[in-house]
Amino acid sequence: MSNAQIEIQLIASLVAIACAIPGTFLVLRKMAMISDAISHSILPGIVIGFFITQDLNSPLLILLAALTGIITVILVEYIQKTGLVKEDTAIGLVFPALFSIGVILIAKNANDVHLDVDAVLLGELAFAPFDRLLIAGVDVGPKSLWIIGCILLITIGLLFAFFKELKISTFDVGLSASLGFSPTIIHYGLMTVSSVTTVGAFDAVGAILVVALMIAPAATAYLLTTNLKRMLVYAICFGVFSAMSGYWLAHWLDASIAGSITTMLGLLFLVIYLFAPNKGVIAVLYREKQQRTEVSLLTFLLHLRNHSEEEERHVNHLNEHINWQKVRSKTVLELALKNNMIVIDNDVVSLTEKGNDFTSQAIDYIITNEDSKIEHMKDDFFLFRG
Amino acid sequence: MKNNIAVKVDDLTVAYNYKPVLWDIDLEIPEGVLMAIVGPNGAGKSTLIKSILGILNPIAGSVSIYGKSYEKQRALVAYVPQKGSVDWDFPTTALDVVMMGTYGSLGWIKRPGQKEKKIALEALEKVGMLPFKNRQISQLSGGQQQRIFLARALVQDASIYFMDEPFQGVDATTEIAIINILKELRKANKTVIVVHHDLQTVPEYFDWVTFLNVKKIATGPVKDIFNDDNLTKTYGINYKVSIQE
Ligand SMILES: Nc1ncnc2c1ncn2[C@@H]1O[C@H](COP(=O)(O)OP(=O)(O)OP(=O)(O)O)[C@@H](O)[C@H]1O
Ligand SMILES: [Mg+2]
Repeated sequence: MSNAQIEIQLIASLVAIACAIPGTFLVLRKMAMISDAISHSILPGIVIGFFITQDLNSPLLILLAALTGIITVILVEYIQKTGLVKEDTAIGLVFPALFSIGVILIAKNANDVHLDVDAVLLGELAFAPFDRLLIAGVDVGPKSLWIIGCILLITIGLLFAFFKELKISTFDVGLSASLGFSPTIIHYGLMTVSSVTTVGAFDAVGAILVVALMIAPAATAYLLTTNLKRMLVYAICFGVFSAMSGYWLAHWLDASIAGSITTMLGLLFLVIYLFAPNKGVIAVLYREKQQRTEVSLLTFLLHLRNHSEEEERHVNHLNEHINWQKVRSKTVLELALKNNMIVIDNDVVSLTEKGNDFTSQAIDYIITNEDSKIEHMKDDFFLFRG
Repeated sequence: MKNNIAVKVDDLTVAYNYKPVLWDIDLEIPEGVLMAIVGPNGAGKSTLIKSILGILNPIAGSVSIYGKSYEKQRALVAYVPQKGSVDWDFPTTALDVVMMGTYGSLGWIKRPGQKEKKIALEALEKVGMLPFKNRQISQLSGGQQQRIFLARALVQDASIYFMDEPFQGVDATTEIAIINILKELRKANKTVIVVHHDLQTVPEYFDWVTFLNVKKIATGPVKDIFNDDNLTKTYGINYKVSIQE
């Protein structure tokens, strides 16, 4: 690997981490759309900042542009508060307006501004290593690496300091307010971090990839865990993984790096969406099928318990008696045998003691919905997992 | 004992988008009562509690907790929100939610540690939810979720408890378990304010009641003011409840 390649991957990974952290909270707050709005509406801020500073990497430009992001949020909330339109509509009204102001500003000054809309939206990671930061004449690395590195450090610092506040105000606004953790302050803090990150990263990776890196890893992580800290860690890992693998995909296909990273994010989400152990599509389908079988099992066991006459319990007559198809009776019979709930003697099925106990407990649970007694059954049977 | 005023509300008017939903409420809640707030859906019961707790800003009027503003008395107050007000799919466990009750005494930045965990476990035990401490909260039944909320309020170790419909969607056993804990709180001279919908049980559970429907209809001891007249004024229709004397 060349130096430039390492630097590109490093920048992409740091951007991924810096995005995944606020992104996790945006996803949990169901505010994914607002990051899209911010990423577009910072354009006028960037253009005006560029007029003033003539330097795309100047901290002043970053602050000015981030301010436009905050203004977006304030405008969206203001419009929403009038009660005339819903939040998504408000977002849809605000960001195209701000974005178009940016487009007009660029068009009007196209001659003396070295800036175009494509560059803002798509960025170009491949060029990031060319813009070096020189301190006292010494090359200390690409400018974007330093910018995103600083933003990331601040983000991590804020996360560690205010993790508890972020958690409570995201989960329960009312309690948060009543305990004195102003949800408004935390909300605008999060919005500021999201805006600064978006601006700091757009030059290298483009505004669209920023949105993807904020939302997709968090949404993917959400499918895998029920623990907020782990969700953050997973989101960071998915982000970094997509950034790295996306880079190599682009290298291999000779395609846009940002595009390849976004593709990887999408693929990763798709895979997890299908295969996640609990919330994944396949797991849910499997669980539903198992539950159906288990209900049949219970029906079958009940039938055995209620009928002592042998004729009702004959293997070959079971189909007719409980009115099931062959396949279904076979699965149920096998499941019962596997769990030692029945014995088959001379083709006549009888309940074992275990089968009898199981039936009583299960019926008890279904009637009382009291699930402390059946905790031990939850591991083996989906039926009891709510 | 009933001389101290725990909560005082003066001329409170609250509006959403400039449309008042609470008009000119005056209310004094004495210390040590177990009080029900009753009124139809949309009467402003949740709004009243939220305004007392500084979650909403009133357009007029003031609130005091033991004579001082809520901001100064936060530590004295615990709150159980209406169940639908939080996202139960949030990635967190029962124990974690209960620990949130300790955040207020920790203040900004400081993180909960072993001591807070111990307090939370005790509260879980008290509401009979210890076996479920590591369960993700969406995998709890409605009544269990309500118990978790109650445990979270208990760890706040407050003097005044506000509970928005703690009996919503719970079965008879849980309801009795909850009311027993509330009665215990009252015995310890705590003030408990509960939004309640089941009018039949008001005389049995509570000793104080406030009728609310946009305006305050009446407030006082259950035995004096819980009658058909006030119920009719509050609910608009002719109300008949048989009160066992
Ligand atoms: N966020 C909001 N924005 C606008 N109007 C609101 C909002 N929350 C409540 N309202 C309105 O304020 C009024 C009072 O609502 P509140 O939630 O206080 O009623 P409640 O007495 O608690 O009702 P319930 O018994 O259904 O819980 C209702 O008419 C409701 O539509
Ligand atoms: Mg309410």
